[in-house]
Amino acid sequence: MAKTKEALWQELSDSVLEMEEDRAVAAAEEVVAQGYDAFEAIERGLSAGMERAGQLFEEEEYFIPELLICSDAMYAGMDVLKPHLRQDDIAEKHKVVIGVIEGDTHDIGKNLVKTMLETSGFEVTDLGRDIAPARFVETAKEIGAQLIALSTLMTTTMEGMGAVVRQLREEGIRDNFKVMVGGGPISQGFADRIGADGYAVNAAEAIRLARSLVGASESVAA
Amino acid sequence: MSLSPKERLLDTLEKKRVDRPPVICTGGMMNAAIVDVMNHTGHTLPEGHFRADLMAELAADVHDDTGFENFGIPFCMTVEAEVLGSEIDFGSLACEPKIVREPYASTESVQFRNIGAMLDAGRVRSVAEAAHLLSKAHPEVPVIGSISGPISTAASIVDPTTFLKELHKKREPSHRVLDYVSDFLVEFARLLVDGGASAICIGDPTATGEILGPRLFSEYAVPYLNKVIDGIHAAGVPVLVHICGEMRAVKQYIPTLHCDAISTDAFVNLKLLKEEYPQLTTMGNLSTYLLEFGEPDKVSRHAANLVRDGIDIISPACGLSTSSAIGNIQAMTATVKGD
Repeated sequence: MAKTKEALWQELSDSVLEMEEDRAVAAAEEVVAQGYDAFEAIERGLSAGMERAGQLFEEEEYFIPELLICSDAMYAGMDVLKPHLRQDDIAEKHKVVIGVIEGDTHDIGKNLVKTMLETSGFEVTDLGRDIAPARFVETAKEIGAQLIALSTLMTTTMEGMGAVVRQLREEGIRDNFKVMVGGGPISQGFADRIGADGYAVNAAEAIRLARSLVGASESVAA
Repeated sequence: MSLSPKERLLDTLEKKRVDRPPVICTGGMMNAAIVDVMNHTGHTLPEGHFRADLMAELAADVHDDTGFENFGIPFCMTVEAEVLGSEIDFGSLACEPKIVREPYASTESVQFRNIGAMLDAGRVRSVAEAAHLLSKAHPEVPVIGSISGPISTAASIVDPTTFLKELHKKREPSHRVLDYVSDFLVEFARLLVDGGASAICIGDPTATGEILGPRLFSEYAVPYLNKVIDGIHAAGVPVLVHICGEMRAVKQYIPTLHCDAISTDAFVNLKLLKEEYPQLTTMGNLSTYLLEFGEPDKVSRHAANLVRDGIDIISPACGLSTSSAIGNIQAMTATVKGD
């Protein structure tokens, strides 16, 4: 007997949480085969599973390797479902530019924040790692981002974050963007000193911060 | 008679009573070759990453200018990854070297190189030669050879995101790569000891509780750190281990490490750690944020607090920013020395 869409949502959510990529793909394929709505399956299934994984991360049940595997499962399911989204599902989203600041190539933390932002309904432009401050500003202007998210793991490259904020000020566009910072050596004190709008200690916190900075409500996913 | 810096450090590591804690900075990920020192002496990076004589001169400059009671070499954590096959950007005066690209997409695709050949490659011999020059010229000052830990080294040759996932999904190849990397690290450390290093410091910033969590930390970080530590102990010198980040999730495993001292990040309350595990020799943990942005008075107060709390070895809490002010570092070392 065919599974109900609710059962498939649960299956998608569980397979993300339990780090099972193949299972996520199989469930997503069944959503398509049954003709159920792809958008709902992403929201109520895959994204919900990633939120549950984020919850376990906050509770220190899951750590970074587990979250990375969960996000692989989520994206694998997403790849199956995305071609089946209807045009009117693709709503206007809050736009974020994210990247690791120049001089640093550590990008695991940035990748996690990117995944969680996408899960939470942000449209993310990922510049990658070792990115000059000016490129963050250019890209943010270009795509009309609301938020610039900067990461670094190295004390030697922290100042690049300050350079982004300075450039925004110099160009007289500081108020057009919110700037959030994170990474190993970063602290609230540092964020305040360079004039960033917020600091998040980990990926889960970064999502709450991003939502509050752009004035977005909590995700509808249960 | 007062202790020489080398005696004080080695006695501390042997848990003997000493007059006061040593104040050191190990090199490697805790590199103290800051811009202020290089501008003053003209012995500069990135050149000092390659030539043994320059490396030794710069390490001596750092010792003289900062007041740290050791020589710490090398000034980066890419010596290992380079000979294991990674492409390195050697950075600039102010910016430390970094991995441009990890050569292997997966732990399964790692090609095992001959360890003997790797010891003759890259900058390995230069670091050992610098240790030799320093230990001969200044026998009273400890040379600390700094190496990258097994988890960080493995994550410098295999794409780090994949590496972390494969700790779960591909355990057997993960163990094989870590074993290989650990074998190399032991031999590298032994060359440094042969050169004249008095102690080895292992910095393993990827092997943190925050990144790995307790299960993977105990399955991978503890055994391979211990394998490297045991190998170095067999060469006859003590080993310090630096663990980055918040340690709560893995605190219970810290006493199972075979090292002679444990160094932690600024978030960790070393006094409490010591109360909980009195057998530990603790090292740390003056905030590098404070050293970069603080004032000498405040640095001095924090250093005095660490001494008062009975921390065994006083040191920066993590990698120093190369733009840290020399005055702040001098305030730290002078306070500990009681100058």
